[in-house]
Amino acid sequence: MRPTCRLACRVVLLVGLGPATAALPAGAAEWLPAATDLPRAIDHAVGQHLEKAGITAAPAADWPTLLRRTALDLAGRIPTLAEYEWLESLPEAERRLAMVDHLMALVDFDLHLRNGLDELLLPNHPHNGEFRDYLLWAVQSRRPWDQMFRDLMAARPSEGPEKGAVHFVRSRVRDVDELTNDTAILLFGVNVSCAKCHDHPLVDQWQQQHFYGMQAFFSRTFMTRQNVVTERPFGQVTFKTTAGEDKTASLTFLNGVTIEDRSPTFTEEERKRLEEQLRKMEQSDTVGYVIFPDFSPRRELVEAALKDTEQRFFPRNIVNRIWQRLMGVALVDPPDQLHAGNPPSHPELMDWLTRDLVDHRYDLRRLVRGIVLSDAYARSSRWTSADTPPPPSSYALASTRPLTPRQMATSLLVASRGTVMDVAKAAEPGGAWSRQRLDLENQAGGWVREFEYPAEGFQVAVDEALFMSNNERVQNDLLRDSGDSLVGRLKASATDDALVRHVWRSVLTRDPSADEAAAATEWLARHPDDRLGSIRSLAWALIAGPEARFAR
Amino acid sequence: MHPDHTGGGTTVHPQGSTQGSGVAQPGSGISRRRLLAMSAAGVASPLVADMSAIRLLRSPALAAELRKQERRVILLWLAGGASQFETWDPKPGVKTGGPFRAIPTDVPGIQISELLPGLAQRMRHTAVIRSLNTKIADHGTAAELMECGRRNDPSVRFPDIGAIVARELGRLESTVPDYVSLYTSTEGRRKGTSGFLGARYSPMFLSESMTPPNILRLENLTDVDHHDRAALRDALARRFTAESRSLAVDSHLSAYQRVQGMMASADLFDIGREPESVRARYGSTQFGEQCLIARRLVEAGVPFVKVARAWWDSHGQNFETHQELCADLDHCMSALLDDLRARGLLEHTLVITLGEFGRTPGINASLGRDHFASAWSCSLSGAGVRGGVAYGKTDKEGHTVVEGEASAGDLFATILASLGIDPAHEYMLGSRPVPLADFGSAPISEVLA
Repeated sequence: MRPTCRLACRVVLLVGLGPATAALPAGAAEWLPAATDLPRAIDHAVGQHLEKAGITAAPAADWPTLLRRTALDLAGRIPTLAEYEWLESLPEAERRLAMVDHLMALVDFDLHLRNGLDELLLPNHPHNGEFRDYLLWAVQSRRPWDQMFRDLMAARPSEGPEKGAVHFVRSRVRDVDELTNDTAILLFGVNVSCAKCHDHPLVDQWQQQHFYGMQAFFSRTFMTRQNVVTERPFGQVTFKTTAGEDKTASLTFLNGVTIEDRSPTFTEEERKRLEEQLRKMEQSDTVGYVIFPDFSPRRELVEAALKDTEQRFFPRNIVNRIWQRLMGVALVDPPDQLHAGNPPSHPELMDWLTRDLVDHRYDLRRLVRGIVLSDAYARSSRWTSADTPPPPSSYALASTRPLTPRQMATSLLVASRGTVMDVAKAAEPGGAWSRQRLDLENQAGGWVREFEYPAEGFQVAVDEALFMSNNERVQNDLLRDSGDSLVGRLKASATDDALVRHVWRSVLTRDPSADEAAAATEWLARHPDDRLGSIRSLAWALIAGPEARFAR
Repeated sequence: MHPDHTGGGTTVHPQGSTQGSGVAQPGSGISRRRLLAMSAAGVASPLVADMSAIRLLRSPALAAELRKQERRVILLWLAGGASQFETWDPKPGVKTGGPFRAIPTDVPGIQISELLPGLAQRMRHTAVIRSLNTKIADHGTAAELMECGRRNDPSVRFPDIGAIVARELGRLESTVPDYVSLYTSTEGRRKGTSGFLGARYSPMFLSESMTPPNILRLENLTDVDHHDRAALRDALARRFTAESRSLAVDSHLSAYQRVQGMMASADLFDIGREPESVRARYGSTQFGEQCLIARRLVEAGVPFVKVARAWWDSHGQNFETHQELCADLDHCMSALLDDLRARGLLEHTLVITLGEFGRTPGINASLGRDHFASAWSCSLSGAGVRGGVAYGKTDKEGHTVVEGEASAGDLFATILASLGIDPAHEYMLGSRPVPLADFGSAPISEVLA
């Protein structure tokens, strides 16, 4: 007889909660000095593993490939033609650092980091304007990640810039399971949902009380009739074990540490009065008060997570997720299974990066910059040897990654609008580029739904191919031939050679190969009577191609 | 370019390194002669093949072939929740029974509501399940349950029955859609979801008209241009796809390869191509026309078609509502069953009637029935089903199931089993096994052929 469990978690390995099995190994300090710079530490760790496995890494990608990859990762879009030409004019040895410094100084970087955090934190509630505004403010004011965590969990009403942070909790407030699971998965990298129905059959330490221990941090959370998120001053989580025993859950973090409930004890009469006030808050449109109890379990969760200096679920999770975004494969894969039974591919590196993040005030920029400046990041994605390619988790080869809907939409617009940029002035706050980029960001919002958000086992939908093939917005907007557009500029090219180079650089950030150039020139020569049509079709063939859909 | 190369051979390109190999590979479809041939005659395009494939599917020879192939599903989704009393489980003469009679069917011993006289005469093809107890009685959650066969789980996006069938019965490179969901204006437009199976199995969702979005060529592009442009795209894409060795990149190629087939299948949505006599049998209601489209789709090899009919949520005036909606259901479904049978398709096509729940035995003050998930009915006709069966039993007044209680999972296991799909087969989601039908469920063998 198989167990009956609607969560289908028969043999899933879950987080180990016992003693600090995933603690920082003693050797981490000796492994590399803390002062080592980030890219060197990454390459040291990845290199050690490659050597041990006897794998020769792929060579570095050529600079246009690397520019395109880096721009997509740092600016959330393909490079502009101006950026391509500017970089081409620099000595080879300077290009790498120049592109990273340039891209990280643009408003693009803030927008793209914001979008990444938005996609992480509200994956099923896109386009929440207030939340996105909060994230952008936080990113632009260099708010540390631990402080953002406090904002998200505090969920207090405010008229300040933190206002929008409330939506992390608020969008899930009607379902305490969802609030519990999402917080555990998205902020701690731990999927606790399987332990709701039963103790884990294989991992002894993982028990129902751990699920309910996490849930206890959220069980008092509710929203008033006037949409204010707050907490009740009392209330406990009780659950029935599989043996039928009734239990009460205490506030227990994932590392097993229990937080004392320091709520005041109320007399029967006080409690009654409070219940009445709470009832009014929940039901009345006009009640003029909200109670915020002094003891807040959600705030306790933040403290417990930040005090967890051994298993470090909170910092490890964001290191793992940012690594995954930039490198294609998470150090701990899948990223919601951060536990002793599922160790990182590079344990010392995970520990080192985690310590570095905490030591540097949870500065996500530093982490991103460190990763994109490593050699591991800059490898070619092509495996030319006849041997079987090495596993993606060896990072011997760059991965080919589908663009997110926002990267795709913004890139389509950057390419098709014939986007102009003064590279030297592009970083000026409020300058021409910043304004243009914000405008592109808004316009991209109208295209994102046409593309699937990449997840495990990503596939391109036929709907997307049909959209690109037959939708009038593609034809009339992306392929319009007004003077400032891509097609308009192509039309005005002096020679076919120049035209072909222009379209390849604009859409694919590289020059065409000799074969490609010949095929394109031949294509243009086919319909001298419909030159505009031929140009549009050529541009379409590139924007609808796989090279425009993926980063490599 | 190698203008003297005639194409079609297997010659290795002289610059066959990874850097240099490019668009001019033999057979890549973009050599000079090929381009010229295409522009001159417009015949070298893949569309021609696709269109003839579609035509073939309508020929008798292919209908015979289809008979040997996998099965198909048409789900008639009774959105809002139809009353079991006024359809498959009448209780005349008791206080919960309502005003309608039960009538005999062509299967001795089985009676259904008099509101379904046509289906009563086709009971030999149909198994009715009268013992669903699915517990959830709010529209959204119940619809999720009955679409996916299990409760929603915050940590997993489960696929619905259409996506599972598309995945299990569809052909990977199919030129027709493998999951089509036809709209109804008042249903709340539930699109359906492929969940963790991914976008390849998402429904083609007709949200506003009888024609799928982006399936027709824009008028300012000629047919030849559309094909030439696609051929150019394919040729320029080839190097990247070959170098990438990624399933995701491959899926980009297959999505674009399916475009022409999808466009060719636009005709399938055009019931103007059916003889007037056939159209007349289905009638001119939206539901009737969509049922006819559904038949055209399964005939062409589409594994799963959902046709939603709304709005059965009869909190007031339950009996008038059912008089009207049952008449439409009875007429259209009868025509559909007859048409499928006449074409030899019924033994390969499972026709399901299902909604998110049934309706209460109690009749409220507005002469309505409310949401009820404890004891209700659905029907399965055609492929893999033992016709002429009424499975399960509710008590005298229809408050509870007294025999053969079936959960949503059991129903899903039954549907899958009738299609020849193993309900216990597991998808692996990382390290997590997800069986096609929920844990603890089992097919109802009594209704399986």
